[in-house]
Amino acid sequence: MANSNLPRRIIKETQRLLSEPAPGISASPSEDNMRYFNVMILGPTQSPYEGTFVQLLIGGVFKLELFLPEEYPMAAPKVRFLTKIYHPNIDKLGRICLDILKDKWSPALQIRTVLLSIQALLSAPNPDDPLSENIAKHWKTNEAEAVETAKEWTRLYASGA
Amino acid sequence: MDPDDTSYDGYEEDAYYDDDYDDYNNYADVIGTDSNPNHFAGRSQKSCTILKDEDISQRQEADITRISTVLSISRNEASILLRVYGWSFSKVEDEWFGNEEEVRKAVGWLHDEVVTMDHTSEGRITCKICYDSSEEFTSLSCGHPFCNECWSRYFQVSIDDGPGCLMLRCSEPSCRVVVDQDVINLMVCDEYNDKYLRHLFRSYVGVSEAIKWCPAPGCKFAVEFDQYKSESFDVLCDCSYGFCWNCLEESHRPVNCETVRKWSIKNSDEAENVNWILANSKPCPKCRTPIEKNKGCMHMTCRLPCKYEFCWLCLGDWRDHKHYYSCNKYETGKKSGEYDEDEMKKEMAKKLVEKYAHYYERWAANESSRRKAIADLDKLQEKHLEKLSGIHLTPVTQLSFIIDAWLQIIEARRILKWTYAYGYYLPENEGAKKILFEHLQGDAESNLERLHHCVEDELQPFIAVEVTSQEFQDYCAKLKNMTSVTKNYFENLVSAFENDLADVECHGACTNVDAAG
Repeated sequence: MANSNLPRRIIKETQRLLSEPAPGISASPSEDNMRYFNVMILGPTQSPYEGTFVQLLIGGVFKLELFLPEEYPMAAPKVRFLTKIYHPNIDKLGRICLDILKDKWSPALQIRTVLLSIQALLSAPNPDDPLSENIAKHWKTNEAEAVETAKEWTRLYASGA
Repeated sequence: MDPDDTSYDGYEEDAYYDDDYDDYNNYADVIGTDSNPNHFAGRSQKSCTILKDEDISQRQEADITRISTVLSISRNEASILLRVYGWSFSKVEDEWFGNEEEVRKAVGWLHDEVVTMDHTSEGRITCKICYDSSEEFTSLSCGHPFCNECWSRYFQVSIDDGPGCLMLRCSEPSCRVVVDQDVINLMVCDEYNDKYLRHLFRSYVGVSEAIKWCPAPGCKFAVEFDQYKSESFDVLCDCSYGFCWNCLEESHRPVNCETVRKWSIKNSDEAENVNWILANSKPCPKCRTPIEKNKGCMHMTCRLPCKYEFCWLCLGDWRDHKHYYSCNKYETGKKSGEYDEDEMKKEMAKKLVEKYAHYYERWAANESSRRKAIADLDKLQEKHLEKLSGIHLTPVTQLSFIIDAWLQIIEARRILKWTYAYGYYLPENEGAKKILFEHLQGDAESNLERLHHCVEDELQPFIAVEVTSQEFQDYCAKLKNMTSVTKNYFENLVSAFENDLADVECHGACTNVDAAG
């Protein structure tokens, strides 16, 4: 089975992710493949991706998948949003434009740091280095309206269901 | 002649033959260089130099030496600076003397503090990459320790990943200290060191405007080209692939790069098929499947599962039709002009497709003929030449005119091929140019066909059986003559094309003068 030779590092990281989860982030490995993680990130407060409070928090839950390739940690994990999201650095397939997932990857980074960076990206969209040209253009020409669309999408799609 | 004399001569010939056989082997190296400037590629071969790995390495070493001397830094540091600033002396020097501190920082040589090893109680430390404790640790000048196994794996994965391995930094995420080539050399095996060096060579060739990789599949040579020393963009690599320096397509003199580009897009373009379908079919009015009507009456029945019955002319439901072989709706529509424009469009599209097919067919035929000629030449050099030499008691060197004939055919096929792309784009309204073009092309082509036939078919009997030496002598003379005639025709063709057939006006004037005279 694929899990029999799991490097010590991956086992340790997984244990720590489960025992001390970062705030607003949960990541758990799939049962049949310990290199595949189901991830949920809560939209940060003060961002268009946060949920709405109606007695308790509703929505603002984004699902992602994270996969550790054979070369991990020498190569970056592969991460993708599964929930539809309106963000200039995330395309419609959920792919993420983030430097540490590409040329700025360093083997001492971890799953936790990657997910925290993605959470931070939700707080600080960067339309100058876009993945979705259209959304970035929208962001630059009319930020208020773009933020509204992002909120609308969060309500519509990020229910966590 | 005395029979003894003959055998003596034959013996003598053998000794001579051996000598020349070596020459013949060397001959392949000479083709296309100074002695034979017209073969395969362009005229001026001196304008380009073929660079092998060793040559590139030598140049890099020289550059590194120069920078390390001028800036008084180590060779490793000089190498990194050159990589960062695209192997440009002036850039390295400008930046360095402009603000040395900034450069050091950008490149990754400055660090605020040196980390001391964080030993655990047992005197062992834990690697921040694999979370294991190990005894063999290495750190860069910054002092961040990682175990040797992790460094080595990191380098291997990065080298496999691409040229990014030339600018690796310390594995500590916030640390910008650059990885020296020496560290990599120590940590990975020979195989990966080789791969690393290839990336290093590539970085050198990639940034230089005067050096490009030969685009032939599998060729590892780079070509340095001085376009000011050359009349054309044709470049010939040592792997025998000829290409255009400007667009990197296969050599295409006398046709320009733009025509070649348009032509190859056109050839790969589905649009031509779509045009054909437009010109020759109509969509079923119900299910929109294109239908080609190749025979029969106007009563059409679409194929299963649609089975819609309609009239080919007006595309209306067949049940509305009273008359079997004529369509009133179409006839009246045609009178009022309703269908004419459509028909005209179809006619136009059809003509365009036919025109393209005409030129493409001839372009492709000459290409396949050229390939066949290359294969035939190989075969000749591999076995037939020796056989011929044996049968006709002629040294191989004296048979080199057969090779010349084949080389001429190969080059001529290439030129001819591109004239068809040129022809396709020749504007319809340039009547005089078109006439001159077709005249020059026709002359050159018919000469080439004769030459090709002469060396392909007429040579066969001389290989198979013994014929009188007079017959062979005659053949030799004929072939030599044909080769030179064909060469002339193609030289004329090329120079006419390179003038963009500008002689048309001139020709017109001359004819007028002649007529007047």
